[in-house]
Amino acid sequence: MNAHVGDAPIAAAKLQHHVIYVSDLNRSKDFYTKLFDLQFSALNHPDSSAAMRLAHMEMHFFSFGFYHHDICLVKHHKLNMDNGSMLHFSLVARDRAAFDAIQRRAKELAIPTRDGRLIASAKALPGQRAFCLQDPDHHWIEIIEEPAQ
Amino acid sequence: MTTASYVPPSVLPPLAQKFAPLLKRTWFRELVLAPPTITGRRFSNKTEDYGVFMPSRVARIAQVSIYVQDIARSRRWYEKLAGLRHSRTCEEEAHPFKEGWRIRCCYMSAAQHEECLVLVEERDPDGKVTVPSGMSFFHTAFELQGNRLEDTLAFAAQAKQAGFIPNYGPVRHNGEPPLGDGETGGNVLLFLRSRLQQHRILRGYGHDRELSRPLRHCQRLVAGLTTAIIAFAVSS
Repeated sequence: MNAHVGDAPIAAAKLQHHVIYVSDLNRSKDFYTKLFDLQFSALNHPDSSAAMRLAHMEMHFFSFGFYHHDICLVKHHKLNMDNGSMLHFSLVARDRAAFDAIQRRAKELAIPTRDGRLIASAKALPGQRAFCLQDPDHHWIEIIEEPAQ
Repeated sequence: MTTASYVPPSVLPPLAQKFAPLLKRTWFRELVLAPPTITGRRFSNKTEDYGVFMPSRVARIAQVSIYVQDIARSRRWYEKLAGLRHSRTCEEEAHPFKEGWRIRCCYMSAAQHEECLVLVEERDPDGKVTVPSGMSFFHTAFELQGNRLEDTLAFAAQAKQAGFIPNYGPVRHNGEPPLGDGETGGNVLLFLRSRLQQHRILRGYGHDRELSRPLRHCQRLVAGLTTAIIAFAVSS
């Protein structure tokens, strides 16, 4: 529990979810669900959401299995996405078997991978495994297996 | 991208931002959605239309790295606004996938999450720092300490007092007054605009236990975990 106590300023506790632009929602949905078994949890569309209509966006929500959404994919219907503001994001595999399964699925889907952490200066814990790949829009994703405690 | 004149787009167009607070009013949402309603294209925005029935292969997000123009300036922004801690700033290193380019990384930590955010200065082969575009990611969300609605509201007041001007919210992502804006997720949301104009948007979320049906499915799958979230984030 991360209860906030006292008069100290409230700070961020931890990363929670990440929302990225994509160019083709169906293609990306297919990629993320097949590779990671992400669960499609909601759809906001300009024909269903006033905010999306104002923003000219469509958003697909995906859950890791607990929160309502952990990864969201957004298509902007007026602006083109690019790779100019994010270097990468990292996902922790649920366990050793899940890490192996993601790696195996990437191979089955003919997705090129590279071993190790993406950024050379990132910390690598003893026994930690990691590999990286790109999604259909060339967003770099790092998959990490955290060593058993 | 190395054009210094490029200005990242806002999440909402300026005109739409003026009307955004009205999203908490049902009549305004109905007005905005009048075209699809009249033409019969309108459909449900309810999350219970989709079920989350099993855990995925991913447990959580470990790290997000974003491009910034000035590490020192961005570091101060995150420290002041979100209370992030500076863990370390590294010497320049080779760009991981752009030959001849260099990066310098500043690792920031949240209260319970070491090195969760990496601020990255990217230099092209001529040594010029590139300008982030704003169209790779929409935002990154953080869970706030306390993780309750009142903590998010207090965070909003705290941010305002520190000089961060809210431009949307707090609202809750559901249809229930007084905070509901008709969206999905159940979380409380706050938009703030950085005076630095580099990272423009800050979002604050506080999910509570009154979330949607899919989440309740999830709760059954992983009973015992807190449902409260916080967040805030970035769109540079």
